[in-house]
Amino acid sequence: MIVCVAVVGQQNNPLYLQSFTEAGDELKLHHIVHCSLDVIDERVNNPKKSWPTLNETFLGLLYPSENYKVYGYLTNTKVKFILVTIDMEVKDADMRNFFRRFHAAFVDAVSNPFHVPGKKITSRSFASRVSAIVKSFGSGTTA
Amino acid sequence: MANYLSPFQTIKSACDRLVIAVEDVSDLWPSVKEGFEQRLPFQKACLNNKTRNPVFVEQLPAEFILTTDPRLRSRFPQEQSVFWFREPYATVVLVTCEDLEEFKTILKPRLKLIVQNDEKEWFIVFVSKAHPSNDQATKMAKKVYAKLEVDFSSKKRERCCKLDLHGTESIFWEDLESKMVESIRNTLDRRVQFYEEEIRKLSEQRFLPVWNFCNFFILKESLAFMFEMAHLHEDSLREYDELELCYLETVNTPVRQREFGGLDHGDDQAALLNPVFKPLTQIIQDDSFREFEFRQYLFACQSKLLFKLSRPVEVAARGYAFIISFSKTLALHENALPFCLREAWVITACLAVINSTSSHYDGGVVAPDVEKEFYRLQGDLYSLCRIKFMRLAYLIGYGVEMERSPANSASLSMLPWPRPAVWPVSSPDASSEVFAKEKIILQANPGAKHFDIQRKPLPLEPSSLLREANRRRASLSIGNVSELLDSRHSVTDGSGADGVSKFSPSSKTNPSSMSRNFSGPVNFESSSPSLDRPMRLSEIHVAAEHALKRTISDLDLLKSLSTLQDFEQKYMELTKGAADKYHNSCWKRHGVALDREIAALCFKHGNFDLAAKSYEKVCALYAGEGWQDLLAEVLPNLAECQKILNDQAGYLSSCVRLLSLDNVLFSTKERRAFQSEVVRLAHSEMKHPVPLNVSSLITFAGNPGPPLELSDGDPGTLSVTVWSGFPDDIALESLSMTLVATNNVDEGVEAIKCSDAPVLKPGRNTVTLALPPQKPGSYVLGVLTGQIGHLRFRSHGFSKGGPPDSDDFMSFEKPTKPVLKVFKPRPLVDIVAAISSALLMNEPQWVGLIVKPMNYSLRGAILHIDPGPELMIEESQMIEIEDYMSVMERMPQITESIALENVSSISTEKSEQLLLGNGKIALPDWASDITTVLWFPVRAIDDRMARGTSAVYPQRQSVVDGMRTIALKLVFGAFHNQIFERTIAVHFTNPLHVSTRVVDKCNDGNLLLQVIMHSQVKASIHIYDAWIDLQDGFVHIGKGDGRPISSFFPVVISPSSRAAILFSIRLGSMTNEDEVPTESILNMRYGVSGDRNVGAHTPVSANPGVERELLFKSTLILQRPVLDPCLAVGFLPFSSDCLKVGQLVSMQWRVERLKDLVESPRSTLNVLQDELLYEINVNPDNWMIAGRKRGHVFLSTMQGSRVVITVTCVPLISGYVRPPQLGLPDVDDANISYNPAGPHLVCVLPPTLSSSFCVPAAA
Repeated sequence: MIVCVAVVGQQNNPLYLQSFTEAGDELKLHHIVHCSLDVIDERVNNPKKSWPTLNETFLGLLYPSENYKVYGYLTNTKVKFILVTIDMEVKDADMRNFFRRFHAAFVDAVSNPFHVPGKKITSRSFASRVSAIVKSFGSGTTA
Repeated sequence: MANYLSPFQTIKSACDRLVIAVEDVSDLWPSVKEGFEQRLPFQKACLNNKTRNPVFVEQLPAEFILTTDPRLRSRFPQEQSVFWFREPYATVVLVTCEDLEEFKTILKPRLKLIVQNDEKEWFIVFVSKAHPSNDQATKMAKKVYAKLEVDFSSKKRERCCKLDLHGTESIFWEDLESKMVESIRNTLDRRVQFYEEEIRKLSEQRFLPVWNFCNFFILKESLAFMFEMAHLHEDSLREYDELELCYLETVNTPVRQREFGGLDHGDDQAALLNPVFKPLTQIIQDDSFREFEFRQYLFACQSKLLFKLSRPVEVAARGYAFIISFSKTLALHENALPFCLREAWVITACLAVINSTSSHYDGGVVAPDVEKEFYRLQGDLYSLCRIKFMRLAYLIGYGVEMERSPANSASLSMLPWPRPAVWPVSSPDASSEVFAKEKIILQANPGAKHFDIQRKPLPLEPSSLLREANRRRASLSIGNVSELLDSRHSVTDGSGADGVSKFSPSSKTNPSSMSRNFSGPVNFESSSPSLDRPMRLSEIHVAAEHALKRTISDLDLLKSLSTLQDFEQKYMELTKGAADKYHNSCWKRHGVALDREIAALCFKHGNFDLAAKSYEKVCALYAGEGWQDLLAEVLPNLAECQKILNDQAGYLSSCVRLLSLDNVLFSTKERRAFQSEVVRLAHSEMKHPVPLNVSSLITFAGNPGPPLELSDGDPGTLSVTVWSGFPDDIALESLSMTLVATNNVDEGVEAIKCSDAPVLKPGRNTVTLALPPQKPGSYVLGVLTGQIGHLRFRSHGFSKGGPPDSDDFMSFEKPTKPVLKVFKPRPLVDIVAAISSALLMNEPQWVGLIVKPMNYSLRGAILHIDPGPELMIEESQMIEIEDYMSVMERMPQITESIALENVSSISTEKSEQLLLGNGKIALPDWASDITTVLWFPVRAIDDRMARGTSAVYPQRQSVVDGMRTIALKLVFGAFHNQIFERTIAVHFTNPLHVSTRVVDKCNDGNLLLQVIMHSQVKASIHIYDAWIDLQDGFVHIGKGDGRPISSFFPVVISPSSRAAILFSIRLGSMTNEDEVPTESILNMRYGVSGDRNVGAHTPVSANPGVERELLFKSTLILQRPVLDPCLAVGFLPFSSDCLKVGQLVSMQWRVERLKDLVESPRSTLNVLQDELLYEINVNPDNWMIAGRKRGHVFLSTMQGSRVVITVTCVPLISGYVRPPQLGLPDVDDANISYNPAGPHLVCVLPPTLSSSFCVPAAA
């Protein structure tokens, strides 16, 4: 189950964060997403052979924690997408697919002429689209 | 083969280096032993690794053992193949022989016997005992050695070397060493091959039932051990890695249910770095090993090798991965393991890895990124350890003391509860402990947030512990939940924070994620009589504590869980460890998140200083990256610290930061609390009033639209939009704003103040600021400053017309749009006279002033009028003002009609009459922006009478005579700050200039006097009547009054034209009476019809409509003809032809008495009869006179007497100039006859050129 998706801007500022936990504990997800920026920074700043090449936007698993996983995706404009899931078995291909769709939704949202680049995304249609993507991701894995 | 395991372990522990066997054939060992052993360990040995590549091994240890030694003798042959690693890797045969015969017969067969075994790597050391001085012996030894070489060495391989006991050459030792290493290498290669072959064979059977992991393990580890002995650690490590892979494969095949292990006492202490923690024989199970112990064993072997390879970073990396994966494995077997063994194991494992890697890590020559990676791993280990430790502490009831921060919540709330088969139950005799725990829970401060912030505390537990524990006790059915709820209420009502809040949300929100937690096996049999009712929370804690005491064998860990103080100490240690390591690595955010936890604990312990410092760090990071949600969680804590520390500046700034956070993060009530804090502090007596930056809270912008434009020197009012982020109205003591000139940054900025004390409403406010005169240039808004109580604040925050944009933390770019433009000094208004032609002297006349505003409003302007001397304003008259444009439109008609009639009347649409008071008038508002003409009546005063001139000798009148000036001062501008001053010249004149001429002298003695009238004004002059009052000596003809025929009148004289009237007069007799005028006066009654827009016009009259005739008088000087000249003055021609400048010339006049001097009563008194006074009148600019200008000459009174007066002159300028004139002041003009009669001119040439300066003209 995906518990949270987030968009983080170039300056590591949060642009969008949606949690799917229903409880009032989004703050801990803020924390997780914020901390995962450490990993992204590290990967971007010192690329190593063991990590996927930088040409790849999908950063893969950032955070092998015991109880949740954090996946990352870096667009060519240095905007980061971060996903927190508590599913322990996730296929990379599914994740890639998810991020590709998410990226498309993001591009549509920021192409809105009324959106100020670098500001939080407040579009409701983006939110509903993200929810749909997240929902379909869950059903895709279970099916 | 499994039974080899025990001997294998023994052998392995006994054997730690390579063995070289020494076959001491000739009892030589004692004498060479020292020399041999000095060579150990081998400094540099070239060995082959598993892939047959040469590897240089340094400091390779080895041991010489005689073949007669029991260690080599007492072995069973069948053992050898498996434990081959301990067999000698080379055999050194020590021989000596001094006799060839003896060698052939005895030694050689014996040697043959020894070396016949192919398996051995051998070589022969021939020891020569011969002393070098003993030639015979030396020769013999050489011979024997030669023979030995022939027999035992082959082309392929040298197997012999010779040691001279008395020799000193070192070649032997190098030779020996290389031979030994060669032998070791060969043996090693062969044995590796053997083991590999064996392993390959065994691997092929892996999926057969006969497969036995133990055998595989012994072979694999033997090989690994052999590599390790040979210091080929890399190869050894690879063997262990392969072994681990193979083992995991075996374990994961779900064929057989195996024992997992971990049930022994002390198993909770991780042994992942201690390979000898438990003998392998203890953990053997069937044909394999127990997973719990064996995997730790394998990891221990690997880490040992890694440490030998000086790779502690890799140990940390592998260790972390191992702990994570092993923890998962433990979770799978959790229901079989002691309560919370998993957590305890992870804690001890992490600490063990941290300690050992830290001690092995010297931080020496590693790349910086490797170092950072190392610290990051250690940080990870610390933080993992910390989480597990917190989990344990929570179980035993320290949860109420834990900070419910996002970081803690993130790590704990998604971490499932332990899943023992049966949840531990409290024993009935522990009621005192239960009571104590309950007290802790009840007394716990639920961590009320500062500022009364109402927040649902973040969960630290995946689901309610109460429910989870009772569920797992297995006796309770679902139906008991209601009871459970009741009891929960009774327990936690006071605490509020612990059980209540998390129970409902977490249980209903995460059903999918948590469902698997509930699927553990439930043991119904273990229910005890005490389970008929659900446990209370305190009981759960006590039960868990008891269970943990049973599980945990690590005294240190036990101690740290024993009391709250110990827990907090350990917690601090782990948190600090993690934070420090993360700070040393690249993971700053992790470090800072942990700093927040440190701060929370410091705060709890009253160490506010440290807490504030840490909180500041955290806030700085969150604020810097714009994570407002997280910031909103920490900032109140920082504010509280600062409040306690009495750091007013910090506290205020924190409050302001709280206020400037996104509105949705705090409720209005909370925001009001922040504001009231700010206001309270601001109005309290602060010892050191602090400036406060409220850039994020109060922002400002200029008004939209074009900037305010001002002329130089003008004050104004500037309107600024100010956005207040305060939730309530806030009253300011003052508000001011600086303006920054865009063109000149260096210049000191001046603050402009808001006139009143404004009250800022939440949101948009418009503030007007009084603007003093500014220098020219364009200005942008600079800084807003203000005062709340004693608190001075400033704001640099610009808004683009919207509310303070709180998430806009990175772009506070200054708007370039100027808010004010002050123009360079320029003429703002111009005042010129409306007319250029002259006005009538001595009559009230309108003077027009064109007042022309130049893109500048004259609203409220006041004009000061100060007439100069000989000019007065007719105060009785109103001043008229009219629109200049309409006057201009009328101008053609005006000019057309001037000659015809008087059109001077105000008929324009925009006109007004004003009253002049005290020399000032106020301009009407309608005239503020348009060009107007201002008319005011003046009268120029000239008491001299006009003088007529002779048409023969016309004399120009000086223009200056009629000039009058009016000083004007216009005060205008919004604040009457602009002043325009100008002096205007107005020309006044008489209406006519009169000249006279005698047109004809009639035979009868009548004279026709022509009076020519030049009109001086641009207006028509109507002459109604004219007459001359004649002077003495002249009379009108026919005794009339000298008026022309009246039917001629009125005569109209057009502007600037002339007219003439003829008068007939004749000479009369002189009366010589005093009262008779000596001058004639021309009198004229006339009227003027002109327009004031053009020039002279009808005088202003107090009662308009009544046209009044004007009287003009002009004197005329009539000269009687010289009828009885007494003297004649003749100007004698010059002696030379022409006069030149600078040339002396004699002027001569001849004076002749024409008749005898008649006694004249007027002249006899003071004039001597024969003395004649003369005077030379000359223009000194033109002539220089040499000689007396004035003097007396003798002239006889006799008729015809003559005298010549000579004066020497020098002409000074060239041209036609008037020569000097001789005058006779004592003689009446009427008695002198001049020749030439009138003024005349003489020609003066320029001076001759000086030849020295001239170039002759070309011929």
